[in-house]
Amino acid sequence: MNLEFAGAIHESPLRGSAVIPMSLLEVKNLTKHFGGLAAVQGVNFAIGRGEIVSLIGPNGAGKTTIFNLLSGVYTPDQGEVRLDGEDLVGRRPFEICRRGMGRTFQIMQPFPHMTVLENVATSGLFGRAPKASMKKVEEEARELCRWVGLGEKAGMFPRNLPVADQKRIEIARALAIKPKLLLLDEVMSGLTPTETAEAIKLVRQLRERGMTIFLIEHVMKVVMGISDRVIVLHHGEKISEGPPRQVAHDSKVIEAYLGEEMENSEEPSC
Amino acid sequence: MNRSFSWKKGFFLLFLILFVLGFPRLVDAYFLHLAVTFFLAMILASSWDILARTGQVSVGQAGLFGIGAYTAAILFNRIHLSPVLGMVAGAMVSVLVAALLGYLTLRLRGIYFSITTIAFAEALSVIWLMTPGFTGGAMGLSTPPLFGGDRQQAYYLILGILALTVAAVWLIQSTRLNFAFTAIRENEEVANVMGINPTRYKVLAFMVSAFFTGFAGGFYSHYNTYIIPYEVFGLGISIACLVMPIFGGLYTITGPILGTIIVKVIEEYLRVTVSYGHQIAYGLILVLVVLFMPEGVVGLWRNKISPLFRPASR
Amino acid sequence: MEWADFLQSFANGLLIAGLYAAVTLGLTLVLGVMGIVNFAHGEMVMLGAYNTFWLFTLLGIDPLLSIGLSGLLLFFIGLFIYRFTIRPILNDPPLNQLLLTLGLSIFLQNLAMIFWKTDSRSVITPYSGISLSLGEVHVGLTRLLTFLIAVGLTLLLLLFLYKARPGRAMRAVSENNTASWLIGINVQKTYLLAFGVACALAGAAGALVSTVMYTFPMVGFKLSLKAFCILVLGGLGNIPGALFGSVILGLTESFVGTYVPEGSGWAEGISFILIMIILIIKPTGLVGTRRE
Repeated sequence: MNLEFAGAIHESPLRGSAVIPMSLLEVKNLTKHFGGLAAVQGVNFAIGRGEIVSLIGPNGAGKTTIFNLLSGVYTPDQGEVRLDGEDLVGRRPFEICRRGMGRTFQIMQPFPHMTVLENVATSGLFGRAPKASMKKVEEEARELCRWVGLGEKAGMFPRNLPVADQKRIEIARALAIKPKLLLLDEVMSGLTPTETAEAIKLVRQLRERGMTIFLIEHVMKVVMGISDRVIVLHHGEKISEGPPRQVAHDSKVIEAYLGEEMENSEEPSC
Repeated sequence: MNRSFSWKKGFFLLFLILFVLGFPRLVDAYFLHLAVTFFLAMILASSWDILARTGQVSVGQAGLFGIGAYTAAILFNRIHLSPVLGMVAGAMVSVLVAALLGYLTLRLRGIYFSITTIAFAEALSVIWLMTPGFTGGAMGLSTPPLFGGDRQQAYYLILGILALTVAAVWLIQSTRLNFAFTAIRENEEVANVMGINPTRYKVLAFMVSAFFTGFAGGFYSHYNTYIIPYEVFGLGISIACLVMPIFGGLYTITGPILGTIIVKVIEEYLRVTVSYGHQIAYGLILVLVVLFMPEGVVGLWRNKISPLFRPASR
Repeated sequence: MEWADFLQSFANGLLIAGLYAAVTLGLTLVLGVMGIVNFAHGEMVMLGAYNTFWLFTLLGIDPLLSIGLSGLLLFFIGLFIYRFTIRPILNDPPLNQLLLTLGLSIFLQNLAMIFWKTDSRSVITPYSGISLSLGEVHVGLTRLLTFLIAVGLTLLLLLFLYKARPGRAMRAVSENNTASWLIGINVQKTYLLAFGVACALAGAAGALVSTVMYTFPMVGFKLSLKAFCILVLGGLGNIPGALFGSVILGLTESFVGTYVPEGSGWAEGISFILIMIILIIKPTGLVGTRRE
């Protein structure tokens, strides 16, 4: 497989390291209000090249809002967002996409009247800078479909495909833009244990190829298993950050979850 | 893109082209006139479809049609601009207006966009009635018969423009524009995040659509020799623009063409049977299509969604 | 002189606002309860107007008395239309709903043209010409009565929505139809009834329209556009908003008619210009909490 991802850097993974590495993404004082409510308030964090960082928090904590702020769907009221040194605040989503930020959506939204291949080709055609020829994009789209496990289904329409495959479309679509940073929004939810294991494998393979990944996840087992670092959000504020084990034992985090999710992650899996 | 070329299709197309080119010599004035009105309608239908591909459902194309019509008529009457140049001018002015309108309505979704376009056409109608000094007001404007009454020349002109329109649709459909338009139509927000600039493509679609609609308007004003605001800015034109492609099959090349032929035949039949209200067919067709055949005539015979790439093997 | 003109203009605007409100009530109801913009609502008004005209011309029934009859007729027409054209598309994308109701509108407009030609009809009652004077202001009796009846219709509707069980069901459904279904409200029946009531209101409004304006096949379309303007002005799907919007539109038209040179011609365009300005600046309408 000769897939190249932009921004690939051959450094050893920084798993378990407490040192903040050279940052691909820098977020300072990120704030967003809706009406009178602060959905996200004063959030600071950084993500280094090649890291896998998870964003967790109870429902309504503001995680998807952060993704929307990063990808330009919302404009921050305050704060800075820098990708590879470039300031992203105020830029429109398609510009941010072309600067190397790819994302999936929590509620899967493939284009219904396009085949799987066409869905992936669309972002390949428009999301990359510089633009590539149709032929090249089609080839790469096919390759991507194969790589995520949709090789035979490339000609099918998304609505006929099961949940796991639709998630694959989302991922392939995001990868087609050759992102520097990949935002995965709850790709593991709704998957069977087998599918979850496959998804984890995929995320690891992505990192091996140099991809930097920022993921929102509810499935604690996954979070503990693949993250270099975990950021915890509660009521729009960051309440904890660090390696998975450290965060899991942080009393603030446990309090925030009221013990629910944490207990679930300790239970033996079936 | 792999397009398998079939000889049957090629032959049929060739025959069609020859027939259409030779048509004027085969028929009398009435059918020639009918053909001209059919071609005019096809242009309106196809250009409406271009705009609809980006999810912008306009119920006010009459606004652009009327601008094209009046630009040509006013320029002829004031500075004796030749009819064909007048039509081009009409097209250009329509494009400018559409660019502005398209820009202003970018954030409008679905029904709100449609309502705004209706308001647009009606507002123009009122403005026209209230400025008779410039526009001729309710009395309308006259121009001498196009090409001195030579229907054959008119036929070839409008045929040429129709060919251009179809070429434009074909271009859109066979390049990456198709992906952009479709993505925006299906989910504008996601398309944006995937790197597609919605502004650029939505305004572009509006401008291209306006060019042909405006040209058609300019043609109409010279061909018909007389235009009034009530007619060229009227709801009837706007409705005609959308019924034909919807009936025939949206987002295709043949759909608007086919839809126009069938709808126009019904309309012509009704026009001779009832003096007013012959557009009743339009309303009925819209209702029936939405209820029973949302994919249109083309969809009926295809019976499934056709992929944008035509795969080499199935 | 100026003050009298102003008061007259204000009074005229208010009176016509009452009529506009009556026209818009049903549209608001359907939008609020079902989330559908019924493009054919104006044609319901048109049918009510024609009904009143014919009852008056052929049977001599006074227009203001036949309001109930027009309302009743349109109620049943509304039920019929709902059952066969609206119900199937309840869950369709809004585009389809737009096209269907638009098609209905065109169909009915042209049907009216076929049956009744395009001539403008007037309903002239013995008391049509009577004008009352309240200080400096002259008010046509018919207009006044129309206004009062429109107010009455509004109050009736509000009473229905707040005191009657089916009305309260409609309000519940308009806020949250899943929750309503869970607590036992028959959502389907509520939709059906709401549509019927909306058309009945339109029919009644049509009766009023026939006394104050000319009746012709396109009158519904003209009023539809004003109703859309009011929706956009006053909030989509809520009644107080519709009243607010009606007053704004009525007064604006009236003042433009009085103070702008050749204003009566320009006043016709006010609703379109308002629609465009408001939607362009605020795509969800002036007050608009966007439905869904």
